[in-house]
Amino acid sequence: MALGLLPGVRVLDVGERISAPYCARILANLGADVIKVETPDGDESRRMGPFPGDAPHLEKSGLFISLNLNKRGVTLDLESRPDADRFLDLARTADIIVENKPAGWLDARGLGYNALRQANAEVIVASITPFGEIGPYAGFKASDLTLCHMSGQAHGVQGPVDAPDRDPPIRAGGHQTEFLTGMAAATASLIALYRKRETGVGCRLVVSSFEAMVTQIISGLANCAYGQPAPSRKTDRNAEPAVGGMVRAVGGLLPCNDGYVAISPREEAQWQRWLGVMGNPDWGTHERFATREARHKNYDQLWRLVGQWTKGHSKRDVARMGQERRVACFPVNTVEDLLGNDHLREREFFVQVDHPEAGTLRYPGVAYRMADTPLPLDSRPAPLLGQHNHEVFRE
Amino acid sequence: MRCSVSKLPLQGLRVLDFSWIIAGPTAGRILAMMGAEVIKVGSARRPDPSYAGPAFQVYNQSKRYAALNISRPEGVELAKRLVAISDVVVENFAVGVFERLGLSYAVLRQERPDVVFVSSSGTGHTGPDKDFVAYGSLLQHYTGWNSVSGHPGGEPVPGGLWADPWVGMELAMLAVAALNNRIDTGRGQHVDFSMAEALSGSIPEAILDYQMNGILPRPQGNRDVHHAPHGAYHCKGADRWVAIAITDDDEWQSLCGVMDRPDLAGDTTLAHAEGRLKRQDELDVAVTSWTKDLEDYEATRLLQEAGVPAGPSLDVCRVYHDPHLRETGFLSKLRTSDGETHDLPGLGWTFNDGIEADVRAAPTLGQSNDYVYGELLGESRKDITRLERDQVIY
Repeated sequence: MALGLLPGVRVLDVGERISAPYCARILANLGADVIKVETPDGDESRRMGPFPGDAPHLEKSGLFISLNLNKRGVTLDLESRPDADRFLDLARTADIIVENKPAGWLDARGLGYNALRQANAEVIVASITPFGEIGPYAGFKASDLTLCHMSGQAHGVQGPVDAPDRDPPIRAGGHQTEFLTGMAAATASLIALYRKRETGVGCRLVVSSFEAMVTQIISGLANCAYGQPAPSRKTDRNAEPAVGGMVRAVGGLLPCNDGYVAISPREEAQWQRWLGVMGNPDWGTHERFATREARHKNYDQLWRLVGQWTKGHSKRDVARMGQERRVACFPVNTVEDLLGNDHLREREFFVQVDHPEAGTLRYPGVAYRMADTPLPLDSRPAPLLGQHNHEVFRE
Repeated sequence: MRCSVSKLPLQGLRVLDFSWIIAGPTAGRILAMMGAEVIKVGSARRPDPSYAGPAFQVYNQSKRYAALNISRPEGVELAKRLVAISDVVVENFAVGVFERLGLSYAVLRQERPDVVFVSSSGTGHTGPDKDFVAYGSLLQHYTGWNSVSGHPGGEPVPGGLWADPWVGMELAMLAVAALNNRIDTGRGQHVDFSMAEALSGSIPEAILDYQMNGILPRPQGNRDVHHAPHGAYHCKGADRWVAIAITDDDEWQSLCGVMDRPDLAGDTTLAHAEGRLKRQDELDVAVTSWTKDLEDYEATRLLQEAGVPAGPSLDVCRVYHDPHLRETGFLSKLRTSDGETHDLPGLGWTFNDGIEADVRAAPTLGQSNDYVYGELLGESRKDITRLERDQVIY
């Protein structure tokens, strides 16, 4: 039985690092037949950690393996004509080719969109770029750091600070820009694939990482379009988390005896129930905290009082007590907590994969379940460098 | 050479959007801009919490909007008739709400056997925590997502809007994946989506590092474990910064050139990343002594001309005014329901075939009543008036 939603769809992953490989992994999770095309040196992400024992090894990067589960892998030196021709042969069999090479890199090797289209008239080529191909930044270099900052993500999303002139905006950790861009590329590719299957028409599509990141904060753009100023980065002028720039909400982090909880009793009824969770303290009825506006105005004082109560409990207990009374309240989890989380275990979120070099580890799976459609999440580990050269080029 | 097509990729598809606030509406927004006819339904009885503010104007661009009160049995019957003529149904109510209204997947499938039903919730529709009351900003903490961010050794950062728009895009992705599948199989799909799992899925390096080495994430602020200098450096003006990421030795030499620092360029202990990482505090001071008298955009220009990855750290209003977003057409002028013209956003990708995304202003509640109930469902003017009076179309 075919697995997933995309059996029979062939994808070539000509990606480096994260964005394009993640796009292709999304499609592999959905059942596409993905062939990863690496340089003889291997994808750069093979050299990015984590590694067991912190010892770099081309076949043991946890990041690389995560990004390339369920793919087959071949190596091609696209600088050489015979290998470029092999690539064109593969392109003839592909529905989607996803790439994030530097601008013009594939064209210079005779493998640009026009060449690919001559080989395969209906092919979809998804090109992931930092800023797109037009506009003043089209030639700019970028990284996860610079895109987090330029897109407003660093300034707005990571929260306010005590002294904005001393504490710079910071980026989100990990590789968020690249993951987000990969998701955008997968979305656009599947939209193009739908049209191709309905009409027989392929195309090239260009994803701009910068614009994908800016799309994360369009509610903030709307506020600006309607004349509102940007929220201050100063803590005492911006006491609520920025909930899409549209809900002024009381909420945030509170200390517990073993970590933190995140809580947002923003509606009046939720706030009343939260007072009940805390055993209805005397200060709860004070007029300083009587209305949503008042709680907002006296946020600092209020949050200190609430924190004095939460400090006496564990993060799990506070979250459980809050949720029992229908207050949005969650423990601030570590990745250790996640790996032991009962809810995720019951939903079988983590996928155990045996890899010949890296061993048996649990990888994050997907955020969706489809009752009638099993997914090929653990069908194969990430490919060793060049593992499927023989198999694929014989086909 | 260009593809010769004259229509948007999803033209001919209809999406019925019961969702509100950010995540679900974002999915509909994407599908609408790519050509689907997206009908948002909602009621004045319990309006979309975003309806009064500017955010609604972006999360609901390019859609139609019909009033429908599904707390009334007659409203549910109208909803079913709309399902029957829709390809995709999107909802993001709390778990169980849609079923209790009489709109379970089994019911939807009776109306439309090949419907793609996308159902999103905070923690998914199964498992012990499925009923948890959730907001995206809190899930960012629950899922470990926020644990990778912050200042070295500092307290967790509160974090803001990230999960919802990401999830909206992933919901659109899944809807289209299921539609692709339907071409082959003729079958619809029920997608149970967990926002929490989407977040945990985007920090694999942290999840693997813990298993491999027993190490919990150690947030680095703006720094990087492999590269230096790597940070946001103070520029001229209050809260003005330029982000600079040196990712190889050539970029380091270029940076020294721009800063006119031959002493650093010639220092062999700084020629490679390992040496620069050891002395990054000192290098950060050196970089700041150059940036502090420059405007952030000017520093960016000088650095990019020399091939150094750099960009200003912008607040959302400066993003809004950034020249690139206007020249590429990402922001375009739309006449909105207030009669004014505002510059509002499109999508993060473009197709090369001359077909532009269908970017239109957001509708008002009830604006599409006549189209939806009259043209699509064939109700008479008289019946529509009665349903409005009875607060079914309301």
